[in-house]
Amino acid sequence: MKNWKLKEIVVMSVLSVVFAVVYLAFLPVGKVLTGFFGPIGYDLIFGIWFIVSIIAAYIIRKPGAAFLSETIAATVEVLLGNAAGPMLLISGMIQGLGAESAFAMTGYRRYNLGTLMFSGMMAAVFSFVWGYFQSGYAALAGGYVLLMFVTRLVSGVILAGVAGKALSDALAKTGVLSGFALGKEKRKKHAA
Amino acid sequence: MYLNNLNPSVKALTILGLVVALALLFDPVTPALFTLCTIAVTFLFGDFRRKYYLFYLIPFTIFAIGMLWTTIAFADAPKNPAETIGLIWWEVPREDVLVALSLSFRVLAFATMSLLFIFTTNMVEFLLSLMQQLRLPPKLAYGIMAGYRFLPMLTTEFRQIRAAHRVRGMGRESRWKRYRRFAVPLLAGAIRKAERTAVAMESKGFTGTRERTFYRNIRVRKKDWLFPAGMGAIFLLLILLSLRFDYFSWYQGQL
Repeated sequence: MKNWKLKEIVVMSVLSVVFAVVYLAFLPVGKVLTGFFGPIGYDLIFGIWFIVSIIAAYIIRKPGAAFLSETIAATVEVLLGNAAGPMLLISGMIQGLGAESAFAMTGYRRYNLGTLMFSGMMAAVFSFVWGYFQSGYAALAGGYVLLMFVTRLVSGVILAGVAGKALSDALAKTGVLSGFALGKEKRKKHAA
Repeated sequence: MYLNNLNPSVKALTILGLVVALALLFDPVTPALFTLCTIAVTFLFGDFRRKYYLFYLIPFTIFAIGMLWTTIAFADAPKNPAETIGLIWWEVPREDVLVALSLSFRVLAFATMSLLFIFTTNMVEFLLSLMQQLRLPPKLAYGIMAGYRFLPMLTTEFRQIRAAHRVRGMGRESRWKRYRRFAVPLLAGAIRKAERTAVAMESKGFTGTRERTFYRNIRVRKKDWLFPAGMGAIFLLLILLSLRFDYFSWYQGQL
C-alpha cells in the first residue's frame, strides 16, 4: 500500500462502488437468462462481474489493483444486500485473484489488449473452479458443465477484457485520467 | 441491542467462519434449521426496521426457489435412478431432489446470515473496526469510506446528466446507446471528484500511516465473544441433532 498514491486508492474505491451497483443490477439479468437457458444463463454475461478488475488495473497499473478493486466491489455488494450473501465476498476475492494473476504473469509491465483479455480469461477460470465446488456444478451433466465453462471464458474475454479496455480508453479520451498511468501513457503516445 | 453493539470485526469473522462450515454440509435439514435459528437470533438480539427485513428476504427466497428448480432440471445422471419422488406431476430421482434442496437451503442460510450483518452494522464502524482490530491500512480504509460516500452523489449526478441530455433533445436512441451515453460522463465526473477528495484529504494532513489516533476507539470486549460462542454452539447442536436422527451428510466428494 506504500507506493500507492491516495488519489489512486480513492479512484479505485469509487470505481469499485460504481461497479458494485452495476454488478447488482446485472444479477436479475442473469436470473432472467437462467430462466431461459438454465444455469448457463449466468455464464453468458459472467464477464461483466470481472470488469472492475480490468478497468482498475488498466488505469492504475499497480500490483494489487485488480484484486483490491474486485474485493471492494464484492464487499459493497454484500453491504448493499444481494441474493448471494457473504459467499459473494469470497467469490469476488477469487475472481480478483484470477484477474490479478494474469497481470502478475506479465510482470505488471504489459497492459495491452492481449493482457486484458488474458486477465478476463483467468478471472473466468478461477471463478469457474470456485463455482464448481461452491455451487455444486458436479450435480449437473458433464457436457453441460463444459459448455458452461467455455461460455464463461468467452464472456470473460469479451465483456471484461475487450469492453473494459474500451470503456477505460473512452474515459482517458475525456482527459480525467491525466494523473494516472493510463492517461500518462496516452499523452506520451500523443507527443511522440 | 446486543447485535448492534457487537464488535463488527468479530461479527464479520464469525459469519465468514459459519459460512465456510455450512458450505461443507450436504443435507437439506441442517441448513434449513440453521436458517430459522439465524432469523430468530436476528429478531431477538437486533434492533432494526422489521418491515425492511422481510422486504429483503423475499428476493433471497425467490433466488433459492429458482436454484431448486434449475438444479433438479439440469441434474447429472443419478446413482440410484430407481428411487424417485413424485413432484407435483412428474417423477424425479430422490437423490437429485435432496441435493437441490440442500443447495437451496444453503443459499437461504447464507442470505439470513448476511442480513444479520447488514441490518445490525454501521458501515463506518465496520471500517474503523477493520483498521483497529484487523490492521487494515488506514490509507485503504479511508479511501473506501470516501468512495462509499460517492454513492448518493452519483444518483444526483445521474439525474443531472439525464436532464442535460433531455434539454438538448436526446433520449430517443436504443437502450444500449443510452447506457454508453451515461457511462462515460458519470465515471469521468466520479473520477474527477475522487481526485479532488484525495487532494483535500492530504491537504488537511492525512498521511495514511498506521501511527495515528482515532476519535472513536473500537475495542473487543469480553461480551463480544458471546456471539461466536453462541452461534458456534447452535451450529454444533444442529449437527448433533441431525446425527442423532440420521439425516446428516458431510462433504464426501459429491462434487
